[in-house]
Amino acid sequence: MMAVPPSILAVDWIAPVAGAVIAASTIPPLLALYFLRLRRSRRVVAATMHWRRAAEDVRANAPFQRLRLSLLLLLQLLALGLVALAIAQPQVDLGLGGAEKIALLIDRSGSMGALDGGAERGTRLADAKRRAVDRVRALHGGGLFAGPAPSIMVIAFASEATVLCPFTDSSAQAIAAIESIEATDELSAISGGVELARSFAASGGEDGTASSSVPAVLEVYSDGRIGDLDGLSLRDGERVIFHRIGGEDSPNVGIAAIAVTRMPESPGEVRVFARVVSWSKSPTKTDLELRVDGRLVAVTPSPVELGAAMQDAATGALLPAQTQAVFPGVQVPAGAVVEVRVTADDLLPADNAARVVAPRLGGLKIALVGRGSFVLRSVIQGLSPASFETLTPEEWNKRVATDPLTPDAFDVVVLEQVTPQSMARGRYLIFGSAPTGTSIIPFGTKEQVVPRSIRSEHPLMQYVNLDDLFVASMAAVAPGSDSDVVVEASEGPMILTLSRGPLTLVYVSFDPIDTEWPFQRSFVNFTANALAWLAAGGLPAADEPLSPGAVAAGRLPAGAQSPSVRVSSGVTAPLSLLEGGRFALGPLRRAGTATIAWQGGSQSAAPTSLAYAVNMDCQAEGRLDAADQLQLATNSVVAQPSRAASQSVWPWLLLAAALVLLLEWWVWLRRT
Amino acid sequence: MNEPSTIDDLLDSRLMAHLDRLDVVSKKIFAGKIHGERRSRRRGQSVEFADFRNYTHGDDLRFVDWNIYARLDRLFLKMFLEEEDLSLVIAVDASASMDFGTPNKMQYARRLAMALGYIGLVNNNRVGLFSFSDDRIERLTGLRGRRRTREMGQWLLNLQPQGKADFAAACRAIALGGQGRGVLLLISDFLFPEGFEKGLRSITGRGFDVYALQLLAPEEIDPARHGVIGDLRLVDSESAAEVEVTASSAVVQQYRERLDAHVASLREYCVRRSIAHQVVETSLQLETLLVDYLRRRGLLA
Repeated sequence: MMAVPPSILAVDWIAPVAGAVIAASTIPPLLALYFLRLRRSRRVVAATMHWRRAAEDVRANAPFQRLRLSLLLLLQLLALGLVALAIAQPQVDLGLGGAEKIALLIDRSGSMGALDGGAERGTRLADAKRRAVDRVRALHGGGLFAGPAPSIMVIAFASEATVLCPFTDSSAQAIAAIESIEATDELSAISGGVELARSFAASGGEDGTASSSVPAVLEVYSDGRIGDLDGLSLRDGERVIFHRIGGEDSPNVGIAAIAVTRMPESPGEVRVFARVVSWSKSPTKTDLELRVDGRLVAVTPSPVELGAAMQDAATGALLPAQTQAVFPGVQVPAGAVVEVRVTADDLLPADNAARVVAPRLGGLKIALVGRGSFVLRSVIQGLSPASFETLTPEEWNKRVATDPLTPDAFDVVVLEQVTPQSMARGRYLIFGSAPTGTSIIPFGTKEQVVPRSIRSEHPLMQYVNLDDLFVASMAAVAPGSDSDVVVEASEGPMILTLSRGPLTLVYVSFDPIDTEWPFQRSFVNFTANALAWLAAGGLPAADEPLSPGAVAAGRLPAGAQSPSVRVSSGVTAPLSLLEGGRFALGPLRRAGTATIAWQGGSQSAAPTSLAYAVNMDCQAEGRLDAADQLQLATNSVVAQPSRAASQSVWPWLLLAAALVLLLEWWVWLRRT
Repeated sequence: MNEPSTIDDLLDSRLMAHLDRLDVVSKKIFAGKIHGERRSRRRGQSVEFADFRNYTHGDDLRFVDWNIYARLDRLFLKMFLEEEDLSLVIAVDASASMDFGTPNKMQYARRLAMALGYIGLVNNNRVGLFSFSDDRIERLTGLRGRRRTREMGQWLLNLQPQGKADFAAACRAIALGGQGRGVLLLISDFLFPEGFEKGLRSITGRGFDVYALQLLAPEEIDPARHGVIGDLRLVDSESAAEVEVTASSAVVQQYRERLDAHVASLREYCVRRSIAHQVVETSLQLETLLVDYLRRRGLLA
């Protein structure tokens, strides 16, 4: 690790010979002139007898007493020396050692929104931007004798990194890039930014900056609370300068999690759960407010008490104090935004509230096409659908032939060993027979199959355990380019998804009836997951809170027109729809809500708005005491004191010379 | 301090009121010329009893102690201390070196002489003034009584510092001036190139109670603080001789050591000859000098 020792200053001389020549050609003549034209001011004294003897005594002991402590001569020599030094053009290097490239990595994660940045009590991000701009100005100080300035790259990072300005020699461009950084409430991860800096440094800048084998100096402006530092290691010759932003003791209370469940006995009411955390090092208490669509509906009867954040004895990490709060029995309509807010005033407002969209009151509209087996009917009916129709293949084909938009009348169509004539649009959960008219190509059957690869993170696989699944026979299919295999056996895909325009499907390549899967809990969970996933257009359901930085994607009802989106800041913008009424909104970088509104739709009674809640992760971003150092995988970087940069010293030397000359003139005036 | 132009400038009424309570005191007892208010070694007609002696023919019978005669049947004469006047001589150095400093030494000397002379006149002493400058000695003698104050003041106002001082000659003239014995005040900076020893020697042993008041300006005591620094051509105020000096801190320090040695040698010389010596910085308030310093030294009471 090449942590920069802050106290070591290197001085480079750009024109040392010129300075030496100037000094050699001016100082000796000055001394000669001083001896030749020493000007004495006349002064009458009462008697000179003591002065004469005193001067004789001193002169006898010091032959060069004329030079001793002659203030004017000293000032003139000092001024000349300063001018000679200025012409030699010294440059003080404050730790960069003549770096060719500098990448400024500016943290814009949620914790950088804390209001303790600088004297104006702005955010930490504002302080970081100000210091970065100062840094750029110092690095590109310019001037008559200025040496080569390093190329500067600007990267903003939070959950992901963004290059705002590739390596450039233009300070204006770099400053504009810094000024354009917008705050987010995302998590903090720096690895992507470091990789970007490395890539750009190796490949050269867009403005023709040559590629270089010398790595860029990484200057990090952050509070040091970065999530992926322990996975980051520096390469040979790579240097990091850590500009610490933020204070040391910054207590913060926030909502770490929120959940809403409808009460079975009273579907119009919900129960709201909230987890409150405190990073304060002393016990604290706060009231909690419950708001529905911005309207205050409840307050905790007594303040919620939180202990002090404690050090984990095993890891040494600081663990926040936390407690749970419950608001029972609150009337909340479907789609309303439920918000829990702490009333305590702290430095980070973004995590003081968490929101969630209340789940819908009823279930889905589902059609089951095929043989209508007892197992599937039971599972679907157990999920309390809003409507459930069982159709034969003939009935389904007839309806589709009559009205091609029939699939859009259902949230999900379940096909059980059925291959419909047309699958141009709609959302299907297919068991058994391979779909036709898609990129999925069947090529026979496979027997005695067990899952080999399961993508457990996929929404379809939430709470689904396939360890005991054994399939006696399944259709052998080749997935197309628009398919996504979720569960795969050695013989081919067992479960896959396909999304192509208005068509979205989940295909299970075997008949569950031929397995023991229907007798396991995971079959019910899988069916529920698949129905919800398909109903949302192959995307997460809207009632799940999003993390900052996520993209809200979903599907609007058929016929929805003039969709627009309104975010918490009050900004409203039109929303562009993709094929099949699908949309992608975001990334949503700030905590709050994003509400999509539209007009019309296939059903007049259906809702015409859809809200997404975005909550800051208080557990990860709520700790506000800035770190003293960046603890990387194999080394650490100590925070550097705030200061400008490597800088040319000559302007200051010239200024000092001018001041000395002014002082010399003033002294001369006083004596004459 | 502005140049004094009137007698009030020399001695204002407030200071005058203070001085009315003071008197010149001599450590010696002298024979005066007339009856004064001061004890003398002569037996005289005061009320203070001194001794008895046998009556001799021609003695004044008013002083015979008839009580003793009644007891012893012998005539004794009562003797009393004679009260005589005091001669106060004030000699002011009026050489060019006294016209220096802020406050100016000559102006300070004028005011000091005026104040001391006034005390003498108020107490009915014989006051004589001398000034010496440019080889000339001027005098104003035979002053007595408060009404001579204006005359004394005018004489002091007319003093103009100039030329070199011949201190030895001035002292010799004072010693032989027939002023009678008394208190002699020498007001000078004692910066005489030829030295002060010869002059002081000429007035010692002549019955004077001598006070040497050495006036020095602040610029002379601490020249560095008053801008005497750097490359200078110093001009002697009396001889116009020039000295080139680079007044560095070392030179200034050496100068101060020289001045201190000069003052110390004057003080030692005076002590050995029973002359009271007092250095007076002209920044010192005149009232403080009179009421505090000179009373402590025994000149005033």
